[in-house]
Amino acid sequence: MTKLTKEDLDAASAKQSANRPYIKVGMSSCGVAAGADEVFKVFKTEAEKRKIDIAVKPCGCSGSCHAEPLVEVSAEGLPSVVYGRVTPDIALRILEEHVRDKRLVQDFIVDMPVRR
Amino acid sequence: MTTTVVLIKDTNAEGLGRTRDAHDIFAEKVKSAGLADSVQIVRAADLGIYNKGVVAKLLPQGIVYVDVTETDMDAIISETIRQGKTLDAKLHRGGNEQVRIVMRNCGVVNPESIDEYIAIRGYQGIKRALFDLTPEKTIEEIKTSGLRGRGGAGYPTWLKWTMARNSFNAQKYVICNGDEGDPGAYMDRSVLEGDPHCVLEGMMIAGYCIGATKGFLYIRAEYPLAIKRIQKALDQAYEKGLLGNGILGTKFCFDLEVRLGAGAFVCGEETALIASIEGKRGTPRPRPPYPSDVGLWGKPTIINNVETLANVSYILLKGGKDFSQIGTDKSKGTKVFALTGKIRNSGLIEIPMGTSLRTIIEEIGGGVADGKKILAVQTGGPSGGVIPEKFLDTPVSYEHLQELGSIMGSGGMIVMDQDDCLVDIAKFYLGFCVDESCGKCAPCRIGGFQMLKVLEKISEGKGEPADIETLKRIAQAMQKASLCALGQSAPNPIVSTLKYFEEEYRQHIVDKKCRAGKCAKLLNFEIVASVCKRCKLCVKNCPVNCISGDRETGYTIDQAKCIKCGNCFEVCKFDAVTRR
Repeated sequence: MTKLTKEDLDAASAKQSANRPYIKVGMSSCGVAAGADEVFKVFKTEAEKRKIDIAVKPCGCSGSCHAEPLVEVSAEGLPSVVYGRVTPDIALRILEEHVRDKRLVQDFIVDMPVRR
Repeated sequence: MTTTVVLIKDTNAEGLGRTRDAHDIFAEKVKSAGLADSVQIVRAADLGIYNKGVVAKLLPQGIVYVDVTETDMDAIISETIRQGKTLDAKLHRGGNEQVRIVMRNCGVVNPESIDEYIAIRGYQGIKRALFDLTPEKTIEEIKTSGLRGRGGAGYPTWLKWTMARNSFNAQKYVICNGDEGDPGAYMDRSVLEGDPHCVLEGMMIAGYCIGATKGFLYIRAEYPLAIKRIQKALDQAYEKGLLGNGILGTKFCFDLEVRLGAGAFVCGEETALIASIEGKRGTPRPRPPYPSDVGLWGKPTIINNVETLANVSYILLKGGKDFSQIGTDKSKGTKVFALTGKIRNSGLIEIPMGTSLRTIIEEIGGGVADGKKILAVQTGGPSGGVIPEKFLDTPVSYEHLQELGSIMGSGGMIVMDQDDCLVDIAKFYLGFCVDESCGKCAPCRIGGFQMLKVLEKISEGKGEPADIETLKRIAQAMQKASLCALGQSAPNPIVSTLKYFEEEYRQHIVDKKCRAGKCAKLLNFEIVASVCKRCKLCVKNCPVNCISGDRETGYTIDQAKCIKCGNCFEVCKFDAVTRR
C-alpha cells in the first residue's frame, strides 16, 4: 500500500461523495444494546432480496440514546430523516414504504434540534 | 424535485391521539390544496420541543412552527409551501439547539472506514499543522481557541502543551486518557466508538506540537467496542501512512499504541495512569513534578482527555478564532454531557458553554418523566456536587459550577426528582470512592471509610446531631490532605448536599424519617384496617411471611420480622398499606 501524500488527501476530501441513497444505523454500544445489530442485518438482507439499490452503513451514536436504535434514511427525492426505536418490523416498513414507495413511515421519526 | 415533508407532533400530549388528529386535519388540507403528491405530512415520535402545542417542522427547509392552529395550517400551505415565505409569528425561537463540535461526525461517518473520515475533510487538521503552521503556531492556534481540558479540571490545553514543548528531552509522549469511570458518564466511549479517527488526529497534532514521536491510547477494558474500533482505525491509519514514519511526505514521525486499563477508577488520574502504562501498580504520586516535565518513563508527557483531543482536530480544521466564538468568556467551545437519571430523554447532548442547566434539563432533556418535580442535579460524578433546583438557571461553565460547589467534571449529569433521597445519593457516591480508593494515602483510605460509616449510621436511624460536624471535619481533612484528586474531591457530594440539604440530614437524624422513602431502615409499613379490603395480596407477596391475620380480623405486619422490602406497599390496589 503506497503512502498517502498531501495531494492524495486533498483529492480524497475534494471528491464529492456520490449522492447515492443511504441508510445509516447507529451502531455504538447504546445502539447495539437496543438491537441495532439485528436491524442492520434486516436492512442488508431485505434490501438485497427486494433489489432495492441503497447503501446500508453503520455509524456512531448521534446522542439520542433513549431512542436507539436510530436509523437515518436518505432516499432519492426525499429529505433525510431519522427514525427512532426501530425494530426489525419497522425496518421492513422503512424499506418498503419509505425507500421503495416514497411514503415516510408514520409515528417513528425522531428529530432533535442540532446544529453541526 | 424533492418532496416537502412536514413533521407534526402535539407536544402538549403524551400519547399519539392528538397528534393523529392534527395530522389528519393537515393532511386533508394538503389534499384539497392539490399538493398531495409533493407534500407529505408525517407524525413524528419526538421533535425535541416540549409543551409548545402542535409543532410542525418543514423539511428540507428546517423551518419549525409552534402552537400551530387550523388556520395556521392554511397559512403554512399558502405562504410557506407555495411561496417559500416564513410565518414569523409562529416561528420557533428556541435556544435549545445543540451544537456539535466534538460529536460532529458521530452518527454521520462509518467509524470503521478511514475513507469516509477523509472524505469529510478528516486529517486536514494535521495537514494544516504540518504544511501551513509550525508547532509554535499550532499551539498559538489552540491558545486563540481558548480550549481547556475536558477531563474535569479545565486546565488550558495550550499551556500544558507549551510546558511539555519547552521541557528539554529527546523522547516525549502523548497520552489519550480514555479511562472514563464516572458512574453514568459515557461520552468518551461514544466518541471513540463513533469517530475514532478524530481522536487519532488530535493526538497526532499534539505530538507534532510538543515534539513527541510516540503516543498511547489508554482505554478501559470495559469498552470492548471502542477498543475494537480504535484498533481498526489505527491499522487503517498505518496502512495509509498517516501514522508511522514520514507522515504525508514530511519528516514527522508518530506511532500510536493502545493500552488497556484494568478497571480501576484511580487510573484516570494522570500519575496513576502513567504508572499503569509503565506496568506498575496504578497509584498516584505527588505532583510536582508534573508529567509535562517528568511523565511516562520519566520523559515529558502530556495527557489529554478524549473529548479535548476531538476538539483539537476541529480547531485545526476550522481555526481557533471560529472555536472561540462559541461559549462564555472563560469557557470556550462546547461540552458533551451524559444526561441520565430521572429524565425523559437520556442520552448524550452537546451544548455551547453558557447554556443554563434548566435549558439542558427541561428543554433538551424534555424534563422529568411522569411530570414530577426536579429536586436537584448532580454533575461531575463522584468528584462533583449536587446542585439544587433553585440554581438551575446557572450557566454551565467551569467557574459557575465551581462556585456552586460542584465541578464540570468529565460530563456526567444525573437528574434527581422528589423521589430521591440526598443522604442516599451521597452514600452511593462516597461508597464508590471508598471502593476505588487505591489506599496509598491515609486521608482518602481512612477518611472515606469513616465518613461512609457515619452516613450508614444516619440512614439507619442511629444518627446523632454531632454527626453533621464530624462529616464536615473529615471532609475538610480529606480535601486538604489527600494525595490526588480522587481523595480531594471524594467528599464533594457530601459537602454539597450538606450545604444545600442539611435539613434533610436533620430529618434523618432527629425525626428518624426519610422523606423520599429510600432509606429502608427508617421506614415502617402498616396496614390500615379501615381501608383494607382483605384481598390477601400483600400476604402472598411478602417474602418473609411476616403478615398474619385472616379475612375476619384483618391483617397486620410483624414489624420485628419485616425486612422493609416494600412489596406489600407496591402490590396493594387500595392504598391500604402506608409507608412512613
